[in-house]
Amino acid sequence: MSAAKADPSDPVGRPRRWRVTRRRLLIGAGATFGSLLVGAPIVVEYGRPTLVQWMLERGTGPTEIPESSLVWFELTRDGITLHVPKIEMGQGIHTALAQIAAEELRVQPSRLTVVQADTARGFPAATMFTFGSTSVASLYTPIREAAAAVRAMLALAAAGQLGVETQQLTAADGTFQVAGTDRRIAYPDVIAAHHGPWQEPEEQPALRPAGEFTSIGRSVPRVDIRAKLLGEATYGYDARLPGMGYGAFAVPPRFGAELQSAEPGDAAGMPGVQQVVIDVEAGFAGVVADTRTRAWAAARALKVDWSDGTRVDTGALERQVTAGDGVVLRRDGSIRDALSRGRIVEAEYRTPMAAHAHLEPLAALARVEPGAVGKVEVWVPTQSPESVLEDLHAALGEDREVVVHVTQLGGSFGRKGGQHLAVEAARLSAATGRPVHVGWTRDTDLRQAFYRPPTHTTMRGSIGSDGMIRGVEQRSAAGDIIWAVAGLPEPVRSLLGFDPGGLLGLFLPYDLPAYRLVNRREQLPVPTGPWRGLGLMPNTFALESFLDELAEAAGTDPLTYRLAHLRQAGEQQERLRTVLRTAAQMAGWSESLPAGRGRGIACSGDVGTVVAVVAEVDLSDGRLRVTGLDVAVDCGLVVNPAGAKLQAQGSVVMGLSSALREELRIHDGQVVSDNFDSYQILGMADTPPVRVNFVGGGEVPFGMGEPVVGPVPAAVANAVRAAGGPRLRSLPLRL
Amino acid sequence: MQLLINGRHHEIEHGDEPLLWVLRDELGLTGTRYGCGVGICGCCTVLLAGRPVRSCQITAAEVGDRPIVTLEGLAERDADGEVVALHPVQQAFVENPLQCGWCLPGHVLTAVALLARDPAPDEAAIAEAAKPNLCRCGGYNTIKAAVARAAELARES
Ligand code: FES
Ligand code: FES
Repeated sequence: MSAAKADPSDPVGRPRRWRVTRRRLLIGAGATFGSLLVGAPIVVEYGRPTLVQWMLERGTGPTEIPESSLVWFELTRDGITLHVPKIEMGQGIHTALAQIAAEELRVQPSRLTVVQADTARGFPAATMFTFGSTSVASLYTPIREAAAAVRAMLALAAAGQLGVETQQLTAADGTFQVAGTDRRIAYPDVIAAHHGPWQEPEEQPALRPAGEFTSIGRSVPRVDIRAKLLGEATYGYDARLPGMGYGAFAVPPRFGAELQSAEPGDAAGMPGVQQVVIDVEAGFAGVVADTRTRAWAAARALKVDWSDGTRVDTGALERQVTAGDGVVLRRDGSIRDALSRGRIVEAEYRTPMAAHAHLEPLAALARVEPGAVGKVEVWVPTQSPESVLEDLHAALGEDREVVVHVTQLGGSFGRKGGQHLAVEAARLSAATGRPVHVGWTRDTDLRQAFYRPPTHTTMRGSIGSDGMIRGVEQRSAAGDIIWAVAGLPEPVRSLLGFDPGGLLGLFLPYDLPAYRLVNRREQLPVPTGPWRGLGLMPNTFALESFLDELAEAAGTDPLTYRLAHLRQAGEQQERLRTVLRTAAQMAGWSESLPAGRGRGIACSGDVGTVVAVVAEVDLSDGRLRVTGLDVAVDCGLVVNPAGAKLQAQGSVVMGLSSALREELRIHDGQVVSDNFDSYQILGMADTPPVRVNFVGGGEVPFGMGEPVVGPVPAAVANAVRAAGGPRLRSLPLRL
Repeated sequence: MQLLINGRHHEIEHGDEPLLWVLRDELGLTGTRYGCGVGICGCCTVLLAGRPVRSCQITAAEVGDRPIVTLEGLAERDADGEVVALHPVQQAFVENPLQCGWCLPGHVLTAVALLARDPAPDEAAIAEAAKPNLCRCGGYNTIKAAVARAAELARES
């Protein structure tokens, strides 16, 4: 558990001088892209793990810290610690990764202590980047191989100690036993009795067959929950150091506004204010005070002038995102021929901007040692330690040693991947010579963020006399997602004409004799970026709503219609058919409902996982109430069913929240929905039972963090129509 | 001035500050969390004389001598402060965990107060009590299950 409070007296291992790497991990430029273009599951290959011989003798430090590793095992007489690069924000991955390791180590998962790796121990920041529902999938085999090798090394040592051959040893529950005898030795005793270098196995030991799993596939308890329940976990907002001051800084009144001039104004004399820090060139004006609320008040009292920035509002942004011309991403068959005959169905769909609204606002703690090259140490709730590192180097000097500690994250959903307050906290710490914590208010957090961009999709389809789809022309437009936060220069982006994030969920998965897809990306004057699932949910809303419109025009049941268009051979289609049938069965699809109630179905695929959702709604009192959701998921092998179910339910609630409530509004270049009164998220009262079934299984896990959010709004909109309501084509859904 | 928190008196300096920040920043009790500052999210919930209260909405001075219980004060501890036993509500949430956990103070302390006045709440009563607290990770189904389980555990103990 990475639960320790930030405490300078707590050694964080052997700090090593950070080598500045320019090997920036490009978010999905290879992964998101390539895989989507070939339609294959996303597998993020960071390379094979280096098995780390980091076995500690009591009291001695690590013998070697490798340059690049994905996972470290630390074995002492006191226990086994698993250092994992991937960051816990509530996904449950630390638990899942412990289970995977425990399986090959032959120990109970509860015997492992999971620790968030950090750069203080030389962990490369890039491997810690946690995104795209890839953590468990990408680490599944590397961790198993490494754990099996660690076990084999222990076995070699144990065999020597017992004077037997390794083949005579069996391992179970953290103990080796000599076959046919009752001679045993527990791992800690092997470690205690061992001297000298550890011997590596000559070959990669065989991995346990899935049929014999005792840890993977079980709902073992979460490793992080106890500390969170006791109030002992350290999130970014909780990080503390002795003598710490509270920082705050002036934020622009409108998007695009830049600091022109700044003076202390009234701030300097306000109670508790210790220092005003101004660096106009860096666009920074901030304060340090003795309490947080005093720092916030003083930051508001700074005398600052901003350039105008943009005056844009929601309406203008939506008009800018208008489907039409663009880059042709798909051209199957002759769309002209397909649309020249048959019955034409046309519709257009919109989704609004949305915020992540993680409940822990952004925060960071920094301690900067004096001098132009003083060491910088930060504690940050981030998905992307490398961007923290790079930003700190850029802001405070490339020569500084920078150490990034990742705290627990109180939710993120993409937001903490690109934005953090480490630089501001470090500026204030550098100027005042003391540790400084900066935490945003909710309204600042909602105003100064990046957002899910708006989308607009127009669909035109034609149905033949047999009711089958003859062809579909799809025109999609969206604000940037990946390009907004990373990547290529604008001319290259324009040439490509699409944003890799916008591709998620963009393609109709059905058999279509003709399909033309024209896509358009827009760089907006407000910050946009990754939001859970990227383009998946907005795109799926349009596609799966339209599928229902076609089914209605054809006079066919929406489930039957989908299945009829998923007939071609192909694993993906087969898996989609299975989840569709399963969700329908769970919901009692064929049973009729009283007037005013209805069911809708939708499906999607993302990061190798396929999902179908059936929503049931009740419109009988003139309001839209969602009364139940049935979800079938094929995410391959399920490592922790309880954890995966939580992820699925959480995704459904977030999707439902977008379907029913969320709409980020901008007026005069600023967000006006800036707290939970004006930016409403779903509460318990509107959350129905969410039933989840996992189907499929398989050899390896696929992503679970995002895919389930995809079909939810479309399923609800389809249910509204089935209940006799109007066809709703924009989010949030309003009767 | 003094506050009585989790059975102990604490000297505090900033009586004019919201209780939330006094707990978190002055006293280091970061189990009480900040989410909105306007009384909507419930992350800052504490028990004040046994009732759930949003600590962002009252100043420390307004608390007076009423006892405060925070997330840190629920478990049974020995003389060294080591946890001897989790509170039944905490135990129920270990069995029915949420995700990021930032919202836990609201859900846990609201359940503690509910069970104190109604040891056997039905589903509707559980939902009614839990309603005001947000969970962005979407654990609402689990929260209901956890509170029902907590009632069971409390009855057993
Ligand atoms: S922080 Fe007090 S209710 Fe949200
Ligand atoms: S568990 Fe993350 S907000 Fe509730």
